[in-house]
Amino acid sequence: MRTIRNRLCTAGMASGMAVAEKGRSDLGKEVEEKLHEFITYLKQKNPHSSYDVAKRTVLLLREVCSKTRWYSARDLITNIRAAGKKLIAAQPSESAVGNMVRRVLKIVREEHASCVAGSVDEVDVRALLQGRDDSDDLSRQTPHLKGSVIEIINDLLGELELSASNISSQAPDHIHSSEVLMTTGYSKTVEAFLKAAARKRKIEVIVAESAPFYRGQELAKNLAVAGVETIVVTDSAVFAIMSRVNKVIIGTHTVMADGSLKAINGSYALCLAAKRHSVPVLVCAALFKLSPQYPCSYDHDTFNKIVSPHDILRFSEGQLVSKVHVQNPVFDHVPPDLITLFVSNIGGNAPSYVYRLISELYHPDDQEL
Amino acid sequence: MGEQGVAVRASVSSESQLTEQETDELVKEFEAALDQNLSEAVAAIQTLLKFIKTCKVGTISGLRAELKVATETLIKARTSTVSVSSGCELFLRFITMTSLEGQNDFEDLRRKLIKRGDMYLQKVADSRQKIAHIANPFIRDGTTILTHSRSRVVYCLLKEAMSSGKRIKVFVTASTIDNSGEEMHQLLQDAKVPSKVILDSAVGFIMEEVDLVIVGAEGVAESGGIINKIGTYQMAVMAKALNKPFYVVAESFKFVRMYPLNQGDLPNDEKYTSVNSSEDSHPYIDYSPPQYITLLFSDIGVLTPSAVSDELIKLYL
Repeated sequence: MRTIRNRLCTAGMASGMAVAEKGRSDLGKEVEEKLHEFITYLKQKNPHSSYDVAKRTVLLLREVCSKTRWYSARDLITNIRAAGKKLIAAQPSESAVGNMVRRVLKIVREEHASCVAGSVDEVDVRALLQGRDDSDDLSRQTPHLKGSVIEIINDLLGELELSASNISSQAPDHIHSSEVLMTTGYSKTVEAFLKAAARKRKIEVIVAESAPFYRGQELAKNLAVAGVETIVVTDSAVFAIMSRVNKVIIGTHTVMADGSLKAINGSYALCLAAKRHSVPVLVCAALFKLSPQYPCSYDHDTFNKIVSPHDILRFSEGQLVSKVHVQNPVFDHVPPDLITLFVSNIGGNAPSYVYRLISELYHPDDQEL
Repeated sequence: MGEQGVAVRASVSSESQLTEQETDELVKEFEAALDQNLSEAVAAIQTLLKFIKTCKVGTISGLRAELKVATETLIKARTSTVSVSSGCELFLRFITMTSLEGQNDFEDLRRKLIKRGDMYLQKVADSRQKIAHIANPFIRDGTTILTHSRSRVVYCLLKEAMSSGKRIKVFVTASTIDNSGEEMHQLLQDAKVPSKVILDSAVGFIMEEVDLVIVGAEGVAESGGIINKIGTYQMAVMAKALNKPFYVVAESFKFVRMYPLNQGDLPNDEKYTSVNSSEDSHPYIDYSPPQYITLLFSDIGVLTPSAVSDELIKLYL
């Protein structure tokens, strides 16, 4: 993580890059095949684990770096963007894909800058004032770029692999003895977090079952098997039971740029109930879930995902099906003021600090691919 | 650096080195720049840049002293002094930053300042358009928007939203202290944006019909709160009470190094019109704290209120 001072030194202004980077891309046969394989995976299997999606995206992008033909950082960025765009188009609701594409793009930019001993262009007032021109162009050839980019991508893969254990290792810092915790749905990260807490402390976990997918029941079973005292409640009982709860701990699908969540439905109700009772809400989310996009249209098609109504009303109940509309949205949008703390693999952060993580992880020019 | 912040707002204590003719020319230049539909801050920067080109000083400290006087002249010449002083402060910072790069020759420095200053003016020239582009996705088709008084950035954004095929409806508050809401309404009518003027006191009534609130700003404080035309604060509180998003559009040169904790913290010469700055006169601007602001759109991107202080630290540290 670079510090503010570092960032001051590297301030600069970028422009016109997006235009220049739009070019033809030639990924080569082998990479194209892998790309299509991954696209099929994104389109077919449902729901995805966002860890798997993130990891597979990075692996694919590593292939793009090592196997496609490119001569300069700009070519490479064009190739990565081309692949990234196809992946995002295949499954727009999986934001982990876009996040990883942008992370890799930032890696390329940084490595290129360090190869030519320059600085990464940034957009801020200081840069505007200093009138830096954009001479540090990405089309310069850099002989060692490939090796160093792949090395950093491997580091990123390592970060992904360790993220769950890094998060769960913080559990004892946040959870005290004989606390009552509440969660909803099923998140692997939360499961590991709660289990890690239970190893050190005596805790009680209340799980909302999370209809209509009932993945909360799955989590409750896993916790019970691991010897954690667990209670399953219906989603509608969340408010009634909140007065007994000490902390709410949830996972999320995505953390948006303003610190709001795109999380499994039922999360909003849970967080509102927590707010009403002044119960702290902890969100366990690895950094790959951090998206640089703002929820500018959170009731929009691109934000939510509406899936088959089968879980709510089965087709066999045919008489009813013809008479009612059944909607089955997957996500809730939880505004940032309901969240107390994000627990990520690099530590705990308040929602108001999310913007800072984003400016460190992503380059502003990569907002739009 | 603190010394500059004070200098900008210091009253006329320093001995004036400008002749009456020079002062007149400066003000005339400034007025001319304002007539080109430039924002006050940009107009001030442009005027000061021209001033550098013509003034006859031979040292940096001489230049700075001259500029301080020039700044005071500009602040006195204009009603919306927050933007003017933010522009001037930015300009002084710019001079410090450039002079710290180690020129020995003053003429060299002067040339460099002029070159960079022109470059900066070029870059900020299209910042309104840039903001409109950034903020446009946040306006959906069929949105009803409430705005306050007259703001060129808001106007630019609404026009952009309209031309991208969205059907929007706009309510503008009259802003009765100078009826600038009527001007805004006229501008919107000319651009074929459906708009309606409402009374300042009708904000509470209208809020339930509105999907989001967009306002401009005269200055964006370090806290992420905004200083804007009187009436903005009540609108922000009302929007929060009814859970409507409250968006601010402001160019990055409007970021000022102030940290007001309440309305009383706003400097008097900015709170009241500089023409008549007695305590009895009606306040012209108010301060809306950051907790009421959903997001800020600026030419350097979409910012949460807490990100503003970061940008200011990057600039002034």
